Amino acid sequence: MTETISTLTAPISLSTYHQLSLTVESASIRNSGLFKPNPYLQVTIDDKISKKTEVIKNTLHPKWKEEFTILVTPLSQLLFRLADHHSFRKDNIIGEQRVNLLKILQYFNGKCENVELTLDMIKTASQENTPNSAESKTAEVVLLFDGLRIDPATLHQSHEALGEVTNSRNSNEGVRARIRRNNPETLRSMLRTPNLRPPPGPPPLSNGGVHIPGSNAVVDVPGAAAGPSHQEAPAPEPAHPPPSAASTSTPEEPLPPGWEMRYDVYGRRYYVDHNTRSTSWERPQPLPPGWEVRRDARGRVYYVDHNTRTTTWQRPDTERLARFQHWRGERRHVVAQGNQRFLYPQTQPPPHAQAELEPDAAQMPIGVGPASSMGGVGAPVPVGAVAGAVAGAPAGAGAAAAAAALDDGLGALPSGWERRVQPDGRVYYVNHKNRTTQWEDPRTQGQEVSAPEEALPPGWEIRFTEEGTRYFVDHNTRTTTFQDPRPGAPKGPQGAYGVPRAYERSFRWKLSQFRYLCQSNALPSHIKITLSRQTLFEDSYHQIMRLPAYELRRRLYIIFRGEEGLDYGGVSREWFFLLSHEVLNPMYCLFEYANKNNYSLQINPASYVNPDHLLYFKFIGRFIAMALYHGRFIYSGFTMPFYKRMLNKKLTMKDIESIDPEFYNSLVWIKDNNIDECGLEMWFSVDFEVLGQVIHHELKPAGDKERVTEANKEQYLQLVTQWRMTRGIEEQTSAFLDGFNEVVPLEWLKYFDERELELMLCGMQEVDVEDWQRNTIYRHYTRSSKQVAWFWQFVRQMDNEKRARLLQFVTGTCRVPVGGFAELMGSNGPQRFCIEKVGKDTWLPRSHTCFNRLDLPPYKSYEQLCEKLNYAIEETEGFGQE
Amino acid sequence: MAATRRLQKELNDIRQSGLKSFRDIQVDESNILTWQGLIVPDNPPYNKGAFRIEINFPAEYPFKPPKISFKTKIYHPNIDEKGQVCLPIISAENWKPATKTDQVIQALVALVNDPEPEHPLRAELAEEYLKDRKKFTKNAEEFTKKHSEKRPTD
Repeated sequence: MTETISTLTAPISLSTYHQLSLTVESASIRNSGLFKPNPYLQVTIDDKISKKTEVIKNTLHPKWKEEFTILVTPLSQLLFRLADHHSFRKDNIIGEQRVNLLKILQYFNGKCENVELTLDMIKTASQENTPNSAESKTAEVVLLFDGLRIDPATLHQSHEALGEVTNSRNSNEGVRARIRRNNPETLRSMLRTPNLRPPPGPPPLSNGGVHIPGSNAVVDVPGAAAGPSHQEAPAPEPAHPPPSAASTSTPEEPLPPGWEMRYDVYGRRYYVDHNTRSTSWERPQPLPPGWEVRRDARGRVYYVDHNTRTTTWQRPDTERLARFQHWRGERRHVVAQGNQRFLYPQTQPPPHAQAELEPDAAQMPIGVGPASSMGGVGAPVPVGAVAGAVAGAPAGAGAAAAAAALDDGLGALPSGWERRVQPDGRVYYVNHKNRTTQWEDPRTQGQEVSAPEEALPPGWEIRFTEEGTRYFVDHNTRTTTFQDPRPGAPKGPQGAYGVPRAYERSFRWKLSQFRYLCQSNALPSHIKITLSRQTLFEDSYHQIMRLPAYELRRRLYIIFRGEEGLDYGGVSREWFFLLSHEVLNPMYCLFEYANKNNYSLQINPASYVNPDHLLYFKFIGRFIAMALYHGRFIYSGFTMPFYKRMLNKKLTMKDIESIDPEFYNSLVWIKDNNIDECGLEMWFSVDFEVLGQVIHHELKPAGDKERVTEANKEQYLQLVTQWRMTRGIEEQTSAFLDGFNEVVPLEWLKYFDERELELMLCGMQEVDVEDWQRNTIYRHYTRSSKQVAWFWQFVRQMDNEKRARLLQFVTGTCRVPVGGFAELMGSNGPQRFCIEKVGKDTWLPRSHTCFNRLDLPPYKSYEQLCEKLNYAIEETEGFGQE
Repeated sequence: MAATRRLQKELNDIRQSGLKSFRDIQVDESNILTWQGLIVPDNPPYNKGAFRIEINFPAEYPFKPPKISFKTKIYHPNIDEKGQVCLPIISAENWKPATKTDQVIQALVALVNDPEPEHPLRAELAEEYLKDRKKFTKNAEEFTKKHSEKRPTD
């Protein structure tokens, strides 16, 4: 790990504190009198804190071997003072020497490890009140510095930032330093070398890891726990959140009714809940006021909150209630937020806008394929006809073509798909599952570079020559041409989607393609969804799941009971926002915040405590697809890895960083270090814990028997990465994707990257650049560095989409906290936007989304900065990983 | 069990090495993720007793660091009333999968022997430690006598 972790309070790491292990070893003092001194050494750091060694009596060659851990900054001045202790009068100073730490750090390129210093202790005249101000060396002191390592870039910067300071103050005369090799006493200092980081504000009490209530042992105990009153084996306690590390010394409250404390055969304390017939290592917290335990018809225990008239499967406790309170508090902002989101205005291609309005179009086909157009010539693919074909009336041409397709070498079509041919011989594909049609072969989709395109002008048609070259027929004038008649059609070099490179990157273009697909597959008429605000989730669930999925493409007509009014869009906008917030209700246990970072959502592996969770995920999948389909926004987005999963993109190690930085750091360590001599004892198998149970997983067949070595670790890291991103949530994810795909085929998303998907789902916000700049901190840069000035100049001249993308790049989401940039969260709590000087001007900027940090190399010009930043923001894959 | 094998090996190594400052290691064979043991410090004022600690390893060990808590009450600037201790070697930012438990224990013993009042968990004790060492030592000694466990005799 080369990256240091920033603290909020210290924007410039030159002023952050680091631990330095200082060992005072020995001194040798020049004989200057009759009596030998009683020497001790005092060190004062920056005229503030001092430390003293013990006094050693009556010697000219004291040996202390005393180690201190002191807090220093790279700019610290250490004053060493050797003194002679007297019991009856003031101690006499033998000599002193000042050490300028920066000089030493610079000399050793930032590494102060096992550095032996020999100091000449100087007695200046003033101390003796003699007239001549001669200085004389009175002693030598030997010290050992260890455990301090500073990024050399920091030191380099200190030259610029603090040039005069370093030159004017002491140049470390009389100080000799060398690296000591093979020190027999390095054990302790080796142990301390991890202390390189600046101490974080409040000491981290917990390490943020998964807490193990009793791990697999929970499973062992219930047998012992099952008393005579138990008819069935108790299940492990449902999901107690991690309690504080130890609670032995806190006064204990009486147990709630129905609970009992017992000891297992090892004398360990555990708790039996006779109400739910479960056991737990954790002491139960009594139910909060207004709560009640109940049992449903199937005997399952659930909890009723009479305060809010809600129910939950999980026993409420302080933490969950706090999260619930927080979640409820958000409600106030939800609707207001919704009104601030926007995206580009939806431009509707005229023919389809008409189709939607005309009642006749109701049963009429709406062209789906990329280039199908109105007016009979193009033989549009009829949705209605698809239904007819399913009913058993296949068109002759279609059947023939289907037979011909058998030997195209690609194998069978996915189930539910059918290949058909238009009268003009063009092949298209029908997806019977969600009743959509498309030109692209689903078997090659995602590999192929064809794309849906804008609608042709009325009267035009696309045809293909025998060689497959595309040409255009203008039925208005009865002419043909190879030139695409559409405005903004391909001119210049073509990119992956058959459109000019410069254009295809454009989010607007992709969005219009997506909108086009939605409109082409729209169904006439509308559906009514009637809900009550109090039971928003259940009402929505029942009505959305009751309908066939394709019906959800009809225009929505949302009615809140008791507030009947016409839904011209405003009501459904509100519904999407409210319901998307509702599904996050911590009491449903379906989603969780990936981190404390940014409140991006991921599927909660513990969601299985909710017996109907898979149905709910399917419902939410449908609902999210509806939001995209109808161009509405949701309150809170998902994690970037989740969007990537929706896009069927490969997840990389870097993706783990945003959801589990600790795990990621360990993977990086394994990647960067030779692991053969470390005794890691790792095998191709892994464990994780959910709700107190440890789940074991072999990464490959017989993985338990294959050791991870330097030679095979690449494969191991790949497998672990895949596992880490999917563990415990596969079923839920497929249920979600199933539901989604029924409404919006996932193929339709393939033009987008994960960040665009977030923008589409969450919309953009006006970004307050003043607020952003005000709440930004810098490391190794200052507010007035020219790169910083350029950066803000760059931000100011960007449009909102670009700003949103820049935010995504650095913070992992385009959303700004409700309270503005001051409330930006990192994985360890509040963490403001940070710009750090890293690397050389040939590098690209990098980001660390867990810390909201942008690593901005010191570019030489504004143009260079713009170019590199643009590249970083636009480029999504393979970059930032070095 | 992925973590088990590594922990089994570490445990054997520690038991064989016979650490003087960490004794009486108890691990329940059915759950190797939780260890208990007795910290036996050398430096006053803690050298009058021994302190029981618990080490909890996560299922994802060694991807994630263990957690340590004191079961015996101790008067120490870096260990709070609940027994929580802040040890840099097992903090999220410093953790490395190659760090071994015996290194963690040695770092812990070093911290017990030499408090680091610069980053205290109990600010009032750190202040006392810095400003009135005599009083601190006296209090800590009394506290140790009263609460700590007996030191192993061998």
